[in-house]
Amino acid sequence: MKLRHLLLFAALCISVGSGHAATNDAFAQGLELSLAGRFPEAAAAFASAVKQQPSAGALVNLGNVEWQRGHAGAAILAWEQAQWLDPYDARAGANLKFARQVTQVDEPSLRWFEAASTWLPPNAWVWLAGASLWLAVGGLVLPGVFRRQKTGWQQTLTALAAGLFLFSLTANVGVVSRTQIGFVLGKNTPLRLTPTRESELISTLTSGEPARLLRTRGNYVFIHTGLGTGWVERAQLGLICPE
Amino acid sequence: MLSLLLAAGGLGAQTPPQFPPGTLSQLQVAQPAVDLTSPVTASAEFDPPVVGAGKKTFYRVTLDATESSFAWPAKIPVPAGLQFGVPAHGQLTQMQGPKYRPLTAFAYEVQTTATGHFTVPGFSVDVAGQTVAIPAAELEVVAVNSNLPPARRLVLETSATNLFPGQPFLIRVLLPAGPSNEIEVLREIQLSGNGLMIDKTASRQAIEATSINGQLRQAYISELRVTPLTAGPLTIAAQGFTAGREITGPISIRGQVSIPGGPARYVLLTSDPVSIQVRPLPVESEPKGFTGAIGRFYCDPPNLSADRMRVGEPVQLKLTFHGEGELAKLVPPVAPRSREWQIIADPPPATSFTLIPLTDEVRTTPAIPFSYFDPLTAKYVDLTTPPIPVTVVGDGLPVQLPAADEGAATTAPLKLSGLAPGPGKTAVSLKPLQLHGWFVAVQLVPVIGFLALWRWDRRRRFLEAHPDLVRRRQARRALRREKRHLQRAVAGGDTAAFQQHAAAALRIAVAPHYPANPQALVGGDVLQQLTETERNGEPGEIVRHIFAAADRQFALTAPAPADWLALHDRVLALLCRLEAKL
Repeated sequence: MKLRHLLLFAALCISVGSGHAATNDAFAQGLELSLAGRFPEAAAAFASAVKQQPSAGALVNLGNVEWQRGHAGAAILAWEQAQWLDPYDARAGANLKFARQVTQVDEPSLRWFEAASTWLPPNAWVWLAGASLWLAVGGLVLPGVFRRQKTGWQQTLTALAAGLFLFSLTANVGVVSRTQIGFVLGKNTPLRLTPTRESELISTLTSGEPARLLRTRGNYVFIHTGLGTGWVERAQLGLICPE
Repeated sequence: MLSLLLAAGGLGAQTPPQFPPGTLSQLQVAQPAVDLTSPVTASAEFDPPVVGAGKKTFYRVTLDATESSFAWPAKIPVPAGLQFGVPAHGQLTQMQGPKYRPLTAFAYEVQTTATGHFTVPGFSVDVAGQTVAIPAAELEVVAVNSNLPPARRLVLETSATNLFPGQPFLIRVLLPAGPSNEIEVLREIQLSGNGLMIDKTASRQAIEATSINGQLRQAYISELRVTPLTAGPLTIAAQGFTAGREITGPISIRGQVSIPGGPARYVLLTSDPVSIQVRPLPVESEPKGFTGAIGRFYCDPPNLSADRMRVGEPVQLKLTFHGEGELAKLVPPVAPRSREWQIIADPPPATSFTLIPLTDEVRTTPAIPFSYFDPLTAKYVDLTTPPIPVTVVGDGLPVQLPAADEGAATTAPLKLSGLAPGPGKTAVSLKPLQLHGWFVAVQLVPVIGFLALWRWDRRRRFLEAHPDLVRRRQARRALRREKRHLQRAVAGGDTAAFQQHAAAALRIAVAPHYPANPQALVGGDVLQQLTETERNGEPGEIVRHIFAAADRQFALTAPAPADWLALHDRVLALLCRLEAKL
């Protein structure tokens, strides 16, 4: 029985390890291709690395090669995704500022709880919420169970945990809300009144324009942008958190 | 631009353009007028007027009016003994003095069957509201063996009689020289027959000796390029007006001929019909890129203006075709549709394309499908232009900005960062845990822990309130342990151990009833927990013996007899009765 468990664990480790190895291979290949100036192939390699395992470095590099290819929308999306994984990634942040300076597109406008959610990676918020909740519950319940006197520091810790839980709840709402933010990928993407190809044009969106997904219908998505609300083709909008 | 035009022309209404005098309008006015007011005259005759029996002649009516100004009767009075065919008709304009004069002619091919004198009576035709009398015409049909000249007619020759739709071929309309080698040219040559396209721009005319019915004769030759448009049998006939020496356009003359002087005499002549067979193209095997080219073509290697380009930068792809077909009429390949290239076909007859790459992911130009039909082999031949390797680079966004002025200080970096050397922070997915269903299940694990803790605390408080339950449970556990020791003592034949564990078991079994520590109890305490009957009976006797033996063993006064082991069953039965009271 023990042997079987050991074998299972070993197989799991090998599969996870091989996945990481493949990711690293694609990442290294992308680096080589980028340095050789073969940007389309490099983009494909970095995209493969991201698909196998999303990483901030691969996304930053994917954005760089997409920018070199002239795909401003795809580059901004990749850097935003890198910041989604690691809000303090200096390269992604600097490149986003640079790209927006060049393309003259705005940053996505975030509500206060969405802005708060950018302080930590999305998964950190949810673990923080879970840990602070159970810490607060434990601080309330466990001294009584174990017939210990509640000390001052225990009560302080419990209060802090409860406060942290309440704050992280709002940040988690912000994280979920930010999953609906996307960026226009194509140049001169038509924003239409109805979800049809022949529909009246409301405006034309530039590459990298931020948009908020409101709903989906067929091959079209209904989005809200700084230039208005309307429908664009689904392939023309890249979400930070792809479905 | 519009505002400039308005400013230049003022805000008034548009005025028509003013041409200087003496240009186009004057040129039009200077053209001779068409005479439509003079009285219309008509003539009718048989050509030739004397013909052998069984031979053919022509009944020809000529009016100096436009063909559209009158309705020609469907039936004309035909004398018995003559068979009139379907009339040929045509029109031209002739110069009469300072004016043009229209001329319309109808020609019937007449088959004679018997000798005799025949007269087509006169009849009238309404020409633009004016009644015009068509005079009578007479024909003399004589014996067959008469040595009379045959009716004058055109000769029609075709370069091929077995064709495919769209395959051009040559038709030669010949007017043989007259008896004294006099040559007349033809005007208004027309071909009858459905489904034919005549290319008048490719016509050629000549006067030269040619073989007619096996004889080399001088003739006027008009060569036309004709293309059948539909499949099936086709019957072609030619007609034209003799025009004397009115030669229009270039003509080549070879040999000695006599061209008559004086004004032209316009006579409508026709030819015998010629049949050709037009076979349909094999539709089922029609390849992609077939634009109707029929013949035999070749294509030089494609010439691309550049093999390295940026996205959106146009390049020119030139295709050069040679061949035996009609290259001037070659419909160039149609631009294929591609998601990666914008392909613009240059206006025909150019066979080049403007290619614009839409993405830098393309590695080759698109294939340009083209094929032609070879009538000799009756098969399609693929001449698709193969893809050409190209390098397309992105349309280039700046990776560095010029340094800003001091007054326009900005926090944005001036250039793109370098590549990240390593993957950095990773995640299983970009989708946050908040949106995963399993994460909610994970949050239930601490809940289960806290529930278990609460249950444990509740049980503990209950046992604290009921300590006898704990003592009885501990006694039962200790009793089971002592029973196992008894079993081992019996199995080992150890009488002393048997006595010791039997006494300990009895003490444990009754201790919770006092409650007291089992070590503090003696045999009397055990007896008190027995009923009166038991106390005076065998159970009481066993208890007393056991404790007495234990006391002796404790005092080391005498060893226990070996038959004590025989009490094992009865001791166990007593212990069971005491355990049942716990």
